[in-house]
Amino acid sequence: MSFSRLLTRSLALSLAVIAQTALAETLTNAGEIVERANVAAYYAGDDGRSAARMMIVDGDNRQRRQFTLLRKDVSDGGEQRYLVVFSRPADIRGTVFRVEKKIGQGDDRWLYLPALDLVKRIAAGDKRTSFVGSHFYYEDISGRSIDLDTHELMATTDRHYQIESTPKDPDNVEFSRYQTWIDRETLLPMRTDYYRDSGEVFRRMEVTAVETIDGYPTGTEVRMSDLDSGGYTVTQFRFSEYDVGLPDDIFSERSLRNPPRDWLQRD
Amino acid sequence: MFESITQTRMTRWGAWLLGLLFTASVAAQSSDSLDWGDDESWGDDPWASEDQTWQWYGFVEGAWAERINNDPLIDSDQTLAESRLQLETERAFEDYTVSAKADFWADGVEDNAQADLRALHLDTTLGESIDLRAGRQVLTWGTGDLVFLNDLFPKDYTAFFSGRHDEYLKAPSDAIKLSWYGDLTVDAVWMPRANPNRFITGERLSSFSPRQGRRVAAPPKLDPLERDALIDDSEFALRLYQNINGTEWAGYAYKGYDKQPSAYDSQRDRTYFPALEVLGASVRRTGFGGIINAETAYHFGADHAGDDPNLPNSQWRFLAGYEHEPATNLTLGWQYYLQWTQEHEALIESLPDAQKPFATDEYRHVVTNRLTWQVLRQDLTLSMFTFFSPSDADYYLRPRAEYRFSDQLTGSVGGNVFGGEDDWTFYSQLENNSNLYARLRYQF
Repeated sequence: MSFSRLLTRSLALSLAVIAQTALAETLTNAGEIVERANVAAYYAGDDGRSAARMMIVDGDNRQRRQFTLLRKDVSDGGEQRYLVVFSRPADIRGTVFRVEKKIGQGDDRWLYLPALDLVKRIAAGDKRTSFVGSHFYYEDISGRSIDLDTHELMATTDRHYQIESTPKDPDNVEFSRYQTWIDRETLLPMRTDYYRDSGEVFRRMEVTAVETIDGYPTGTEVRMSDLDSGGYTVTQFRFSEYDVGLPDDIFSERSLRNPPRDWLQRD
Repeated sequence: MFESITQTRMTRWGAWLLGLLFTASVAAQSSDSLDWGDDESWGDDPWASEDQTWQWYGFVEGAWAERINNDPLIDSDQTLAESRLQLETERAFEDYTVSAKADFWADGVEDNAQADLRALHLDTTLGESIDLRAGRQVLTWGTGDLVFLNDLFPKDYTAFFSGRHDEYLKAPSDAIKLSWYGDLTVDAVWMPRANPNRFITGERLSSFSPRQGRRVAAPPKLDPLERDALIDDSEFALRLYQNINGTEWAGYAYKGYDKQPSAYDSQRDRTYFPALEVLGASVRRTGFGGIINAETAYHFGADHAGDDPNLPNSQWRFLAGYEHEPATNLTLGWQYYLQWTQEHEALIESLPDAQKPFATDEYRHVVTNRLTWQVLRQDLTLSMFTFFSPSDADYYLRPRAEYRFSDQLTGSVGGNVFGGEDDWTFYSQLENNSNLYARLRYQF
């Protein structure tokens, strides 16, 4: 590890410690809690790299997905760039997915299909559809814009802020509202329950493991359950790193055809 | 006679069954484990560690396509009856990556065993901003969906029409590709000898011959003069590309040979691949809640004046497309394509009277539609691709249902259905090749 990198990392670490100390205070504003939870869950560091694997379970049927995720923030809580490089299963190995996440307008998305050497541009479409066949939606992976819902602080317990969110445009989503339990210390959303109009919970996200990586508390195992069917997907993140210094130009067409090996390689 | 037909049939069924059995037996062996397995190293990523070895991948596939109509010109009732093995390997050395991919199959339609080297290339980066790929490779560019204006890389229409997987539409090129990434991306491809399409030879599929005024098939198979002189038969392709705030602009140039044997040498009574130059441009961006694209290309045909019936005329080609998601998990794509033959009057005048009716229209319009519906959380994909030409009054339908049984096993059923008013137009000439297919693939 280079000296400057070591310096950056220890600096980030001490900043995180300061931030956590500051967070010992109790927050009371739902908007502020949601904003900070969004940053904690999706904007840790200026950039990040992580290997991820998914186990998709439907009764007896189990499917796997494995990919490496590169992310760079344009601004905290704002635009982001993603590069997702798949290594498993065999039929999608080498497929690369690139997203320019926008706020208040459709994302720009590209998909590279290696067998045809085809760079396909994809319509932004509904973000609440399955991400690569898993129980996670695109929106669960890259974050749901906090402006799409109104948020209310329902309760503050010893460990959690309990937030209820109601969609501003209920016709665009499959739920009537959702409740999130946000860890008071790390500000990570630890559990989200999605409700039907009838008041029944039909979908649940749970963070089942948290590790502090480079000073940032990180959900390293997340489970998304379909409570109707009993099916679920577990996603594990490993080899996560933050503030790796990803250059802007790796989020480009070049990386679709030729994934940036140097930046994908684990330390 | 009877015996040999029976034998052929049995070979066909044999090839198909063999593939199916092999697929099933391999599928049975691999039981999905409940846990992640013990691969704590997550070793599947090729960049998992510095310590590199040869990585192996592949699949076995059984494929069968039955003709809907009897083709009086071709004995076989199938356009496809095969068991296929694909093997792929890749290894990274310091600054280089070597990749190879080869297909081997028992072909029940042609009654033989075949092999095809689909990739063998070396990749490296020169300096900071140049990527080099040298060797046999699949190349694609342009904005069309199954419609190609500036993509003058070889296609395998025989595979595409006969029921093979979409990936076989692209045939590999022997090429050196240099990509320079600066403010602008420059892709330059040199093919040391011509890489023509895998065109319809008449062995598997029949097509219309304007010179004979009827549909034809092998024997004799279409056997054009080859363009295989190294260096002398070189082809060049160039693309300039820039993404400006999400709007993708590209310019294209090509100097080489027609991918189809579109010219005729009357003295030798052989077809051949005439010289072709192409200039074009495209733009693609988000718009109207989806993706919009436009592309144009001018094909400088070998016959500028248009008065030589044995050479192709120049053409302007235009494409406009729009793709969006009108409902969750439903994607809808539309394209309008125009092929404008230049000096059309001269072409008609120069043709012998018998061939005049078969000449392409001055304006050939094609509308395409792609409908994709994903259900069962993407395990089942239902799709329909339609080509329809109002000017030729013909069509080509590609329905398909594809199901993922597991990460390894995928099954597809679908069809290639051609039809139209006249025997000689682009799609309707293929009418007797209409087929329904089934494929089962096991990946490893």
